[in-house]
Amino acid sequence: MKRESVRALTIGTLGVAAAMSLAMLASHVSPILGFNAFFYGAFGGKQQIAETLASTTALLFPALGIAIAFRAGLFNIGAEGQLLIGGLLAGWLGTRIDVPPALAITAIFLAGALGGALWGAIAGWLKAARGANEVISTLMLNFIAASLALYLVTGPLRAPDAAGPELSLLPHAYWLPTLLSQTRATIALPIALLAALALRYVLDRTWFGYRLRAAGEAPEAARRAGISLSKVALWAMAWSGALAGMGGAALVAGELHRFNTQLSPGYGFIAIAVALVGGLEPLAICVAALAFGALESGGLALQAAAAVPKDAIHVIEGLLVFALAARRYLGAKGAAAQ
Amino acid sequence: MLDDVDLTCEAGEIHALVGENGAGKSTLAGIAAGELSADAGEVLRDGRIGLVHQHFALIERLCVWENVVLGHEPRRLATIDRETARTFVRQLGERYGLDVDPDALVEDLPVGIRQRVELLRELARNPSILILDEPTAALSPGEVERLFSTIARLTENGVGVLVITHKLDEVFAHAGRVTVLRRGIVVERRPIAEITREQVARAMIGGDIPSIPPHERTNGAVVVRVRELAVPGAIENLSLHIAAGEILGVAGVEGNGQSALADALAGLTPFRGSVERPTAIGIIPQDRLVEAVIPGWSLVENAMLGRERAAAKGSWRIDRAAARAQCTAIVERFDVRTTSIDAPLATLSGGNQQKLVVGRALIDNPAFVIAYNPTRGIDIGATATVHTELLAARNRGAAILLISFELDELFALSDRIVVIARGALRGEFTERRFDRDAIGRLMVNA
Repeated sequence: MKRESVRALTIGTLGVAAAMSLAMLASHVSPILGFNAFFYGAFGGKQQIAETLASTTALLFPALGIAIAFRAGLFNIGAEGQLLIGGLLAGWLGTRIDVPPALAITAIFLAGALGGALWGAIAGWLKAARGANEVISTLMLNFIAASLALYLVTGPLRAPDAAGPELSLLPHAYWLPTLLSQTRATIALPIALLAALALRYVLDRTWFGYRLRAAGEAPEAARRAGISLSKVALWAMAWSGALAGMGGAALVAGELHRFNTQLSPGYGFIAIAVALVGGLEPLAICVAALAFGALESGGLALQAAAAVPKDAIHVIEGLLVFALAARRYLGAKGAAAQ
Repeated sequence: MLDDVDLTCEAGEIHALVGENGAGKSTLAGIAAGELSADAGEVLRDGRIGLVHQHFALIERLCVWENVVLGHEPRRLATIDRETARTFVRQLGERYGLDVDPDALVEDLPVGIRQRVELLRELARNPSILILDEPTAALSPGEVERLFSTIARLTENGVGVLVITHKLDEVFAHAGRVTVLRRGIVVERRPIAEITREQVARAMIGGDIPSIPPHERTNGAVVVRVRELAVPGAIENLSLHIAAGEILGVAGVEGNGQSALADALAGLTPFRGSVERPTAIGIIPQDRLVEAVIPGWSLVENAMLGRERAAAKGSWRIDRAAARAQCTAIVERFDVRTTSIDAPLATLSGGNQQKLVVGRALIDNPAFVIAYNPTRGIDIGATATVHTELLAARNRGAAILLISFELDELFALSDRIVVIARGALRGEFTERRFDRDAIGRLMVNA
């Protein structure tokens, strides 16, 4: 981990603790009791830890994907849509195949990656071929993904036996094995960690990663050195979407065990914060995802025990990103002034 | 940056401040004009000190008079008194021989005229001392002459002019006194009559000037052939050819199609017409920090740029040991002075950064080289290294397209010179019969 990311994490942790104390004080709760409830909710027992790990996993996949795009200089804010399409394809394939479980689970993850990759590649292609701003196109593709998914699950793909708009349940054998029995913590977590390691390797050691970073860092120098910015945009968005889509597959096979449009309560957006807090470094992002996972599950406990609304936690997450972005901006200005 | 420097500029004199890049000239100018603050010492002034920067600070979307009066606009109630402002600008221009249309938009003006606007803006504030930072960097020979006749008129009016430059021709043609700065210290200061060019140059670099090896004329086959090249809005019907072992110099004032020519030959911009060239090509881009390097990355990573696929040798994985060896080879052969090849490139001086860029372009002995202002903004020592290496590449049989805004550089290196103006070639000078006046006239297309 780079020193920069360690510093960002430390500042982030302290900042969040301070902001949470203020939120508790504002709700007339003693911060001591409040943090007690919070930590119990996040780490207090097997069930709590499992909840934290499940949230960590759900955030880690899209956060890694976002990091790929951001490192290539592409502001992909469409992880939510890529995750949804990935989950949709994974959930659809899972009900259509009849193979040994290990193979099925692999296929489900690959389907998730493919769905996300295709959805990400649309924005990448628009950027490469037409110069379309990826912020706009990825944002808009989120809405298209949500509407497309809703149309498919209410219409053509709706399960005959389902109560609501959703696909059929996956066969029990295809559900992801749990890490802790009777919980939502599944083997998706180690898969995500492996993905983080792989991503670090790709970025640091391969020519593709080098091109991607060069294009993000200094596009004009990269272009003049013969690196095709169009290809980088297309592939970076595809891989970015692939990781987000794997996150969708993990949610389908590990938590809901089927696809419906309630798959993600905004993981693809919170993951932007996770990626930024992790300084776009894969290993630091793992730590950041754990912190945000703890905020998610501890925040629920805090709401139940101390009546601090869970939305306050989201406000704090937002402030954190805001502060980090401002710090980076001010840092850049300071360097330029030297 | 600066250590115990003192400098005086008297009313009515032209004082040249010379020194290599990084010697502290611009810092000194900034302190004198009050834009930067010194850690110790003071600036005593009698009246206002005006500073014209090397990179102009004009507002492009505003017209000339708006730029000139900005900050002290003549007012009529809540509005600007436009007529007074226009008349003021016109009269100011007439007084100093700087004629500019007050209503022209700055973005429509060529570099030489923009500089007049910048001068007018400073003169509008009645400075007693005017500092010009590298005023001739982007001017054609004719424009340089004009600028110095304006400066002469200023000194007749009692204004002291401090000219920062590294062009010794200008110093000896126009200045009354010269101060040489090296690494933040004044190493020489004398009236111009009491010092020779040689002495000034030696004082600037603190030693002997590296000499460029002589040309060895080689007659190779034509390897680059451009026919009826056209790039919309930049180049019209341009044809040229370069033989192996030949340096073709392209003379011209900035903004006359050079960038489009370089980009078309490098395959970076769409064009009409035909370009035949070898595939192995080395490129030295003109804007180092934006187009050539990634300043925050290490020397090793920068040396790999554009060769990363080769560094992976057919696999996905970059062979780090080989990449480091390659970087070390460039650093040694091209005399890149650095503490470590893992240091961020930004920690190197401009000259050493440029040597890495040149080394990266030349180390594989490409058959064709495009060098665009390869020594812009770097010191004499690094310039000599770059020139030597370009000639060495040529002697090994490379065809080299040398685009430069410095006529001296073109004269020193080229086997042939073509002049580009408004996107077309206006003349060709062969076999080292280069006529500075004729080239200068063609550059401004007079």
